[in-house]
Amino acid sequence: MDYFLNELWISRFALTEGFLRTIEISVLSITFGTLAGLAIGVALTYGRLPLRLLSRVYVDVIRGTPVLVLVLACFYIPTVFRISLEALTAGVLALTLFCAAHVAEILRGALIAIPPGQTEAARSIGLTFPKILGFVLLPQALRAILPTWINTGAELVKASTLVSIIGVGELLLKTQEIVGRNFLTLDFYLVAGLLYLIVNYAIERLGAAVERRVSQP
Amino acid sequence: MHPQPLLQIKALTKRFHKLEVLKGIDLDVHQGEVVSIIGSSGSGKTTLLRCVNLLEEFDGGEILLDGGAIGYRVHGERRHRLRDRELSRQRAMTGMVFQAFNLFPHLTALGNVTLGLTQVKGMARAEARALAADWLGRVGLAARAGSYPSQLSGGQQQRVAIARALAMNPKLVLLDEITSALDPELVQEVLQTVKAIAGQGTTLLIVTHEMRFARDVSNRVVFMDSGRIGEMGPAADVFNNPRSPRLAEFLRSSRD
Repeated sequence: MDYFLNELWISRFALTEGFLRTIEISVLSITFGTLAGLAIGVALTYGRLPLRLLSRVYVDVIRGTPVLVLVLACFYIPTVFRISLEALTAGVLALTLFCAAHVAEILRGALIAIPPGQTEAARSIGLTFPKILGFVLLPQALRAILPTWINTGAELVKASTLVSIIGVGELLLKTQEIVGRNFLTLDFYLVAGLLYLIVNYAIERLGAAVERRVSQP
Repeated sequence: MHPQPLLQIKALTKRFHKLEVLKGIDLDVHQGEVVSIIGSSGSGKTTLLRCVNLLEEFDGGEILLDGGAIGYRVHGERRHRLRDRELSRQRAMTGMVFQAFNLFPHLTALGNVTLGLTQVKGMARAEARALAADWLGRVGLAARAGSYPSQLSGGQQQRVAIARALAMNPKLVLLDEITSALDPELVQEVLQTVKAIAGQGTTLLIVTHEMRFARDVSNRVVFMDSGRIGEMGPAADVFNNPRSPRLAEFLRSSRD
């Protein structure tokens, strides 16, 4: 036990760094992925045919690809075009693409579930489509997707472990390095597991708080 | 009465795929007039109303509001549906109240009425709220301004919908079977609200199954029969002296 605590103390900076990197990757990809996903979701639902088809292909291809493959693709494919992305950038890009596809699909589901009478009522008072979207459809759809979106966020934190494959020093890679030095395999993976649990528990609580805040009778 | 009708419907035709639902409708509605459209289900009443509010496209004929054609622009032989922005501007000239209320569930009663005022009319927030509150008062719901639709009864929701349509000060108000989705005991409160409005000079085009209401409130009644106007005239004439057997039969069946 003393040995473990001693090793934990020695590894504190490495663990903290990995932990913060994991949070950084997650926050960035959830933010960009959500913004892109909302735009793609609207295109998927209301876009003209070419745009709708394009978004559909994007969503299906990304959702049909394992995240690990996306990470590798984002790291290696740009080099074909003589663009070299930093591992962190490539990792965030991959997770952003993944997040956007999921957000787009859940937003589409929420939008088509809104009764057509809502759009008709909004039209009948003379609102243009962008305003119908902004004031009538999206407020309802965003409330509806909130629980699923929170879930996607938690999935993304877990998926962020996959960027370790291209050498981004996030929590999992840092833990592997520590274990490689002291062979306290079980102990340190438990520590890492606990840290992931803390992040996802925080996300879940945050989600519940937001849901309470925007909930309506 | 004004020389030019507020609403002119000329030879209007509309088909859903092969089914012809409107087979050439001609109807004028003058400023301040209350016109009710009656007829059995599937006779095209609601479709006619939806065409006037540009919620449906139509295939032939034209609709003029205040003398101007709405919904389409004619280029020689061809007619083009107008763009969203122009359709929206034209839709704002008419108000519509729906069978299913269609209130925005994420907005309060006040918010439902205010939305069009701020976003379509460009009113300042405070001014819009004052006007909306005034309209909620006129439909007897001043005390429920802060309630969400789910907290209101069907009759109250429909009265909010009426306030939402009328607050926009439309030239013409379209009422589409507004009591059909209501519990029987809530029908009267909504009809009373409409009668009060009708008495104030608002031009109304009403689709209804409430025959007594149609007789009480309308200047003219239109009987629609499978996509055509079967009979049309002053309310008392249409109800008391139906000329066609079809109308006589319809009136008999809707009395029971």
